[in-house]
Amino acid sequence: MKTSNALLFILVLVYINASTGWPTHTVCKEDNLEIHYKSCDPEQDFAFSIDHCSDIATHTFDIRGAMVLRHSIKELYVKLDMIINGKTVLTYSETLCGPGHAKLIFCGKKKGEHLYYEGPVTLGIKEIPQGDYTLSAKLTNQDHVTVACADFTVKNYLDYY
Amino acid sequence: MPRRGALAVGTLLVLLQLAFVPSPLAGCLLDPCLEVTPNTTFRCTGLNSSGVPDGVPNTTQNLDLSFSNLKSLGSNYFESVPELHLLDLSRCHLHTIEDNSFVDLHRLSTLILTANSLQHLGKAAFHGLTSLKKLVLVETNRTSLSELPIGHLHTLEELNLGHNSITSLKLPEYFATMTSLRHLSFFSNMITSISRGDLDALREGNRVNLTLVLSLNRIKSIEPGAFAGVHLGELALRSAFESTMMQTSLQGLAGLQVSRLIVGDFSDSERMQDFERGLLDGLCRVQMGEFVLIWFKDFEEESDTLFDCVGNVSTIRLVGLGLEEISQVPVWSKVKQLECKKCSFEDVPAQKLSLFKELRVLRITKNKRLKNFKQKFEGLSNLEVIDLSENSLSLRGCCSSRFQNCPNLKHLNLSFNSNIGLTGDFINVKNLLYLDLQHTTLYGPGSYPVFLSLQRLIYLDISHTKTEVKSQCTFCGLNSLQVLKMAGNSFGDNRLANNFKNLSRLHTLDISSCKLEHVDQSTFDALSELKELNISNNKLMTFSPGVYQPLQALRVLDFSRNQLTVLLGSAREILPGSLVLLDISQNLFDCSCVHLDFLEWIKEKQELLQNKELMLCHTPSYVANVNLPSFDLSSCHVSAGQIASPVVVLLCVLVLLLLIYKYYFQLYYSVVLLSGCKRYAERGDTYDAFVIHSSKDQEWVIKELVEPLEGGKPPFHLCLYYRDFLPGVPIVTNIIQEGFLSSRNVIAVISTDFLESKWCSFEFDIAQSWQLVEGKTGIIMIVLEDVNKALLRQRLGLSRYLRRNTYLEWKDKEISRHIFWRQLTGVLLEGKNWNHEEVKLM
Repeated sequence: MKTSNALLFILVLVYINASTGWPTHTVCKEDNLEIHYKSCDPEQDFAFSIDHCSDIATHTFDIRGAMVLRHSIKELYVKLDMIINGKTVLTYSETLCGPGHAKLIFCGKKKGEHLYYEGPVTLGIKEIPQGDYTLSAKLTNQDHVTVACADFTVKNYLDYY
Repeated sequence: MPRRGALAVGTLLVLLQLAFVPSPLAGCLLDPCLEVTPNTTFRCTGLNSSGVPDGVPNTTQNLDLSFSNLKSLGSNYFESVPELHLLDLSRCHLHTIEDNSFVDLHRLSTLILTANSLQHLGKAAFHGLTSLKKLVLVETNRTSLSELPIGHLHTLEELNLGHNSITSLKLPEYFATMTSLRHLSFFSNMITSISRGDLDALREGNRVNLTLVLSLNRIKSIEPGAFAGVHLGELALRSAFESTMMQTSLQGLAGLQVSRLIVGDFSDSERMQDFERGLLDGLCRVQMGEFVLIWFKDFEEESDTLFDCVGNVSTIRLVGLGLEEISQVPVWSKVKQLECKKCSFEDVPAQKLSLFKELRVLRITKNKRLKNFKQKFEGLSNLEVIDLSENSLSLRGCCSSRFQNCPNLKHLNLSFNSNIGLTGDFINVKNLLYLDLQHTTLYGPGSYPVFLSLQRLIYLDISHTKTEVKSQCTFCGLNSLQVLKMAGNSFGDNRLANNFKNLSRLHTLDISSCKLEHVDQSTFDALSELKELNISNNKLMTFSPGVYQPLQALRVLDFSRNQLTVLLGSAREILPGSLVLLDISQNLFDCSCVHLDFLEWIKEKQELLQNKELMLCHTPSYVANVNLPSFDLSSCHVSAGQIASPVVVLLCVLVLLLLIYKYYFQLYYSVVLLSGCKRYAERGDTYDAFVIHSSKDQEWVIKELVEPLEGGKPPFHLCLYYRDFLPGVPIVTNIIQEGFLSSRNVIAVISTDFLESKWCSFEFDIAQSWQLVEGKTGIIMIVLEDVNKALLRQRLGLSRYLRRNTYLEWKDKEISRHIFWRQLTGVLLEGKNWNHEEVKLM
């Protein structure tokens, strides 16, 4: 039971003029690790948090994310671009909801519904790279429409063990 | 307490915030409506006002008002758009739908009301929807079915009540009249129990097409008999039960007839349930065609009851199970199709699977831990298809020994595995028709003939298997082969030799990405039935007509991504008439005008050619990356004009030379006038006068001019053309040098013959110009008496000269002669240099 984790789920949504973009949210702010994100979807912002920021040094960590779906997600694909100094150095993509029987609970949700996910995330790479960089994440659906989009600014100087 | 229920206060707060963020923002950002398809489809999302926007015409068929702030719908709300087929009201903050809101929408087939917390739904809210097929009431705050005023919607095919708080599955009687219903979803509700009688409405009529979704509920109990006599197309029960209640609840399914039953969980479910002994016992009394067990994690020793009650099912799919071993198989098993996807086997459980005597199709896929294939399939006489793709299999000595007494095996898929060694022993599976080994590292093929015994094989895929074809007999034995796919391999010396000589039945050949540099002359000789050839992404520089000539049945040819510069006329001629698709894109085309015929051919064959946008010129550099089909051929024709211009210049020069030849005199004279005056002037005055006269007047000149003037005192020295002109020098030169330049005066003897002579008039013209330029030589005109005055007047220049200047007139009378001599001698004496001899003589 991780009810206490909910307390970590701090989110401040500041209403500002959309022409200047969505506000930057802080996910982690520790000595060796800072993660901020900003939605790059002109239609909406979304909520995102990591339960224990230090877990990021391990292979798997727990996250929570919530948003209102502007498009149905019969199928859902995620694409991550790692950008250092304006150049994409790494690209990673995965199918979250494929055709056929849904693997995850939220697969098949409809336009207008809430999407809420809390649970572990396992990355295809061994560990999250160290240094200062941007992670550009994009979720697309079966019609190749952007469901959500965000740029994560990462300053990671955690020691791996 | 299950974790999914632990949505803490903070989380909910965020969710609520999110729900209200988009609408105010979107309302002020977006234009009211977007016309997606003219007159019929409009998207008006994020509106802040109620009512159908004014800009939407009454012809509209699809209207999207999602994320608008409509709050409530009143009667005849949509009367301005009676043609609507689809109405999307997702998240419109609706709390009230009054009676007759949709009454005008007789044609509406889809109504989406997702994510509106409806507080009040009128009893006649859906009246008038006589054509409605799909009603989406997901996340609409519904708590019970009985209050739902949909009883009159007999045409309904899909009713989605997901993500609500419905607690009871008691279907109202009107469901019995909804005979078209195909999909009824209670996904993620609060159904806790299903009682006898709840599904009575489904008992009557034919429901074999109906899918009932009860996934993500909290079912604690199903009363035995609740499903008795119900006949469904599909029943989905994923995460449907309270954690420990599954086994007993499943007992309640007794008497159900269903084409497909889906039981299990989701991979991210918080309620993941362990598979306990006898968990599926309840299914013994369910009659089903297909059983899907999905995302169960902890199969342990208890799993040996898995097939106890599903052994009589014809199709079993096991997806995402932590299954490490196949459970005990009942002897009376009737399973025909078995699939294990994403299971946890380490060895292909061939021994136990062989107990499914009726097995026809077996699939074990996407099993990362599956490395070994040591056990043998035995006695599966009906087995036709084995799919072991996308595992991590590593085996030697494939494949005959693994299949004992499986005589009907036709389809073997070992693709996307680690590595497989082929020994060439296919004796037990010699009836194979399809063999797929792509993306698995192979040992054997290419070095020696491993396919010798597969005489019946019609489909072979060895793409990307790291095979290097060295042996001429690599494909020996494959006499029935129709499809050979071997992209991404290589051939010895990067050369395609006589490798396909026995494949005379081949229809499709894929040898793309094989690093090929050369194709031997007789390579395709045997492939007269070949319809598709993919030889793209190699390093071929030529398309030799002789090589491809035997392929007379070809329909599709992919020659893209090679290093072809041009398709020569001879090569284009041998392309068979049956060809419908030709891809020669991404080659290194030479677009110089030498290949004008090729470029024109490209223009003609637009329909045949594929990927035209990727056909780019490579050379010459000034047209690099120009698209070939849109290449401007006129640039080649212009160059013909460029060839013509020197011809024009040559013609001009010729004309000039002709003109020079014709007007040589005038030109020469001009040259002398402009540059030579001083030099000639130095010659001094050799003669007293140059006599211009016609040759016919020569007699008069000698008698009346030369004799008196040269013989008289003082003696004058006259220049006469017949006497003083130098031989061997052009006449013009003589006229100018001897005549004008060496004489002080010019005597022109004007007679009828003078007027007719061209030489004379030329000389007179020069004399006039000379007088004008030098201002030296005077012209003494002597007009003979017999001159025709009328003729004289025609000679404009001369008659004008005579009018303006004094001239001498010769008359054959003594007195006139005397005056003539005095006047002429006077003129000639002017300016004469007397030398000493002459003075003495005087």
